[in-house]
Amino acid sequence: MAYDKPIPRQGQHNKPFWEGAKQGKLVLPHCLDCNKVHWYPRLICPFCHSDRLDWIEVSGEGTLYTFAVQHRLAAGNWAKELPFVTAFIDLKEGDRMQTVLLGVDPNKPEDIKIGSKVKVEFEQANDDTFIPFWRVVES
Amino acid sequence: MKMPDLSYRAALVGACESDLIGYPGGEERTIRCTSLQLHIEAIKNVSAYTGIPISDIDGVFSAGWSSELAEHLGIHPSYIDTTSVGGCSFQIHVRHALAAIASGMIDTALISHGEAGWSYRGMGGRGGGGRGEVSPAEEATAAYGIAGAPAQYAHSMVRHNHVYGTTPEDFAHISVVTRQWAMKNPRALMYSKETNPFGGEITIEDVLNARLIAWPMTLYHCCLVTDHGGAVILARPEIARTLKSKPVWVVGAGESMGHSNMVEMADFTATSAHRSAKMAYEMAGLSPNDIEMAMIYDSFTITAGITAEMLGLAPRGRGYTLWKEGHAAPGGRLPINTNGGGLSFNHSGMYGMQLLVEAYRQMSGTAEDGVNGDPGKQTEASNCIVNGTGGTLSTTGTLILERD
Ligand SMILES: [Zn+2]
Repeated sequence: MAYDKPIPRQGQHNKPFWEGAKQGKLVLPHCLDCNKVHWYPRLICPFCHSDRLDWIEVSGEGTLYTFAVQHRLAAGNWAKELPFVTAFIDLKEGDRMQTVLLGVDPNKPEDIKIGSKVKVEFEQANDDTFIPFWRVVES
Repeated sequence: MKMPDLSYRAALVGACESDLIGYPGGEERTIRCTSLQLHIEAIKNVSAYTGIPISDIDGVFSAGWSSELAEHLGIHPSYIDTTSVGGCSFQIHVRHALAAIASGMIDTALISHGEAGWSYRGMGGRGGGGRGEVSPAEEATAAYGIAGAPAQYAHSMVRHNHVYGTTPEDFAHISVVTRQWAMKNPRALMYSKETNPFGGEITIEDVLNARLIAWPMTLYHCCLVTDHGGAVILARPEIARTLKSKPVWVVGAGESMGHSNMVEMADFTATSAHRSAKMAYEMAGLSPNDIEMAMIYDSFTITAGITAEMLGLAPRGRGYTLWKEGHAAPGGRLPINTNGGGLSFNHSGMYGMQLLVEAYRQMSGTAEDGVNGDPGKQTEASNCIVNGTGGTLSTTGTLILERD
């Protein structure tokens, strides 16, 4: 079945991210001056304000910073998936990403542990878009 | 940087609501208020209340509406501010207006808000200004299904529970106590079972057993969505002293922000209110121990709990204890959200104006609802800290107001 949930828009400013995702890689903006990665893509490094930015592949590993279980409100066809778990992930390389969390039971939120190890994986939404989602691999 | 001391350089001289608030037209929406209508009703009321003609207003402050309002009123202000940073915009407007008055640029500032949160719910009603473009941050989070404020704020409660060992039940006390205040305010939507089927007394069990919106937050951890308009006038002391209405002095003011999008929030258990409050305390020459009542933005119980901590009214991780131990309740040592709060009074979407209106009423001794709930009996407090929170725990404005 075709992917029917919201598909993010792509543009020049995030092209390497989506090119990487197509190959199953998490590719993030990276500052050549302070060496930090950041997400979402900026026109200037949010840490040192350098404009010498490139893109690097990161490990795709992180930890669960916090989460919630959506029971009532959802964007687009996510409404058909209620309840589902949303989360914020601290990347091994620093900074944070948002996700729908995989590998957990939305009806047993007390079993979901902050600090759990998570890994990224990609779901194909269309020919050009493979959306990163994070899965709990060890709690 | 040391902030200039602008204490007592301007006073709130009146604060009024729109004629219609809450659910005008009821569940059927037989009446639909517009946001503009709510603005104009409140402005007419505050002009009449203070005796300041609309034509004397020389500064207009609103969350995105100022040019439209000035045109509608047929006035030509010499100071125009449209700061629109969510629910704390109005605390920040007061600070900006204070600076404009103290600098001598203007004499009287109108701060207005109208928002048809109920009448046009889910129909693209407008509180602040729109933008059209999608930001990179919105693009980066669009895939993940989160919609609406409760969906976001729940992540903060989960983190607070994890870091400080708190529970949703701890935060439920904020709902229960705030409802006790609403039951003393006949204008509160949740005043009684007669004003709303969900109104009247609620228990901890009611909060915990209500339907889940975003775990761990149930319906009663979340604010109302209503129509509301409000307007206040800030004036220089020479004018404030000549009016028929009572002045309430601005003795402290601060503003700050942490982030815009929640994905950029550094610590999900802290807001920039610790910075905005520090500015306000320094200007006022006061400390948290000196504060006698508080109006704290309660879009959700977590918002109020965290903010109490940021304002220094309770230790980190222990904000909820002000409610749980009864200090914030009617008769307590630190009354909080005496109108019934966004949780049980009214919440149009950007609630900061309602905080201001109630703070003025309490500090001017004109509130119908009092500490003991007897009509005409006011809180004994001589000062009030007012803290707005905008966006997704993003931006904060803090004021300290003092009785004349
Ligand atoms: Zn850098």
